Amino acid sequence: MRVLHLIAIALLLGAAVAVAQTPDLARRQAEAAAALADRQEEETVLTEGEGRSEVFGYCTACHNTALIRRSAFTRDRWDELMDWMAEKHGMNPLEGEFRQTIVDYLAKHYGPRARSPRGGNPFLN
Amino acid sequence: MTRENAPERSVQELYRDDPERADALVFGRRGALKGAALAAMGTALGAGIPFARHMPQGLVPAALAQGAAQPQFLQMEGKAPLIMQGERPLNAETPEHLLDDAVTPADKFFIRNNGSVPDPVADPRAWKIRIDGEVNTPLELSIAELEQRFEVVTRQLQMECGGNGRSGFSPQAAGNQWGNGAISNAEWTGVRLRDVLRAAGLKEGAKFTGQHGADNHLSAQGPAISRGMRIEKALDEDTLICFRMNGAAIPQMHGAPARLIVPGWPGSLSQKWFNRLEVKSEPHTGRGMGGTSYRIPVRPIVPGSRNNGADFVDMESMPVRSVLTSHAHGTRLPAGTRSLDIRGHAWAGDLSVRDVHVSTDFGQSWQAMQVAAPPNRHSWQRWQGSVALPADGYYEVWYRATDSNGRMQPHVAANWNPQGYGANPISRIAILIG
Ligand code: HEC
Repeated sequence: MRVLHLIAIALLLGAAVAVAQTPDLARRQAEAAAALADRQEEETVLTEGEGRSEVFGYCTACHNTALIRRSAFTRDRWDELMDWMAEKHGMNPLEGEFRQTIVDYLAKHYGPRARSPRGGNPFLN
Repeated sequence: MTRENAPERSVQELYRDDPERADALVFGRRGALKGAALAAMGTALGAGIPFARHMPQGLVPAALAQGAAQPQFLQMEGKAPLIMQGERPLNAETPEHLLDDAVTPADKFFIRNNGSVPDPVADPRAWKIRIDGEVNTPLELSIAELEQRFEVVTRQLQMECGGNGRSGFSPQAAGNQWGNGAISNAEWTGVRLRDVLRAAGLKEGAKFTGQHGADNHLSAQGPAISRGMRIEKALDEDTLICFRMNGAAIPQMHGAPARLIVPGWPGSLSQKWFNRLEVKSEPHTGRGMGGTSYRIPVRPIVPGSRNNGADFVDMESMPVRSVLTSHAHGTRLPAGTRSLDIRGHAWAGDLSVRDVHVSTDFGQSWQAMQVAAPPNRHSWQRWQGSVALPADGYYEVWYRATDSNGRMQPHVAANWNPQGYGANPISRIAILIG
């Protein structure tokens, strides 16, 4: 059984390598990319905490949460990114309490992962 | 090795005896790990480290540096299992060991999208490219016309994301956390942009370009990205308007039916789904220009600090970098293996690579590899050689390239910037013998 599986996988991989870029493949790749982009996420992919629904609702209009989940920024850098997204990418500017809720959530749950062995940079607070 | 007969330190042993002290000793940190995590650390490595004495303080072994999260892999017809960076936008990195081919095949070509992937066009030959702005005669030519009117050239050209190596920055910089795998060296066929610009006739004020493509921004409002460069680079003999990759149609993922290729400079200049180039008297102001985007500090800034990039400069020629492609990170070899034939590629933006050196003792001693001449300018170069391994156990192979101006890959990512461009630190793979 396992051997058969392996053979099937090998054949699939071989086929993938052998296919030249035909109009059909171009269409199928574009469709596959669209399917990946359309893949629905659950709010629970983000860490539980106050502000999660706001972040999930507001921040997945353009991109998915992979960009958030892979990030590990200080509060200051999250705050800066909010302006960057508004200025460069047309996000509705975030202000007031709502901005605070979102930035608080991000800083708390997607903050720097570990301090550097030497205890951080002496020029930063 | 400086001292013969030095006892091998087993990390496992260290952790078994006094895990907290071991962690402080081996990794130069205190209190970073607790309880079970700390205990697991010793067994995670699973071997002695023959060169443990030379391991710099605070250095996490390459085998552990990737952290707990397992990478996800792309599954797409016609593509190898690339490391997923994100689905929307779709970005995926080529694992270094899949970059072994001299000419990067389509399936192993990394994917970088700023917006959405457009639908394929029915008649690629009819796809039109416009040249306008500071020219005497604006042109609009189909691919078929370009091919007929201008000399068609084929070159092997490196095309690398401006953010390649970003994961080397500490603290983390914003953007795709690429290792070294956002690099390609395909064989591109097209016409020289400079021939087309000369046909259009550059005006006196022609100083910059602005590239345009057909992909939409993620918000569906306007173009995904539109970057530009100094006219000198547009007039380089290797800056091409391409319509074939590796002798076949350009893959949809990589910008079919036409892509501008600007080798050696940030990949975002190599406009995918390319349909227009403006010639300008002032720097371009499209999306992806200005601020901290594709720009680096002239006066180094404090890592992690806030900066609007106003006095940064546009990133141009990419820094020297190397990949090791003969062995995957985490390769396990039979006990008794005492030498290893290794190889990879190295490149340096507009420059070439003079040397590649390899160390298996955490940088204490370096050995020169053979570096082949590039098949043409702007192609990466093959390096290869053999290293001796004195005993069974855990090794890291460190590899470091030097460009034709004598600049080497640094030990850690230099010149930190908020969006993480230009990180080219020395890389390493972990190998276990026995
Ligand atoms: C109007 C569209 C839009 C909205 C809404 C939006 N973003 Fe973004 N964001 C972008 C774009 C475009 C990028 C760049 C993606 C790329 O180039 O790969 C980006 C990038 C990022 C990045 C990575 C930085 C980088 O350079 O790749 C993070 C983190 C991020 N966004 C977080 C958020 C958060 C948190 C929110 C909600 C407060 C949010 N985004 C809302 C458009 C948006």
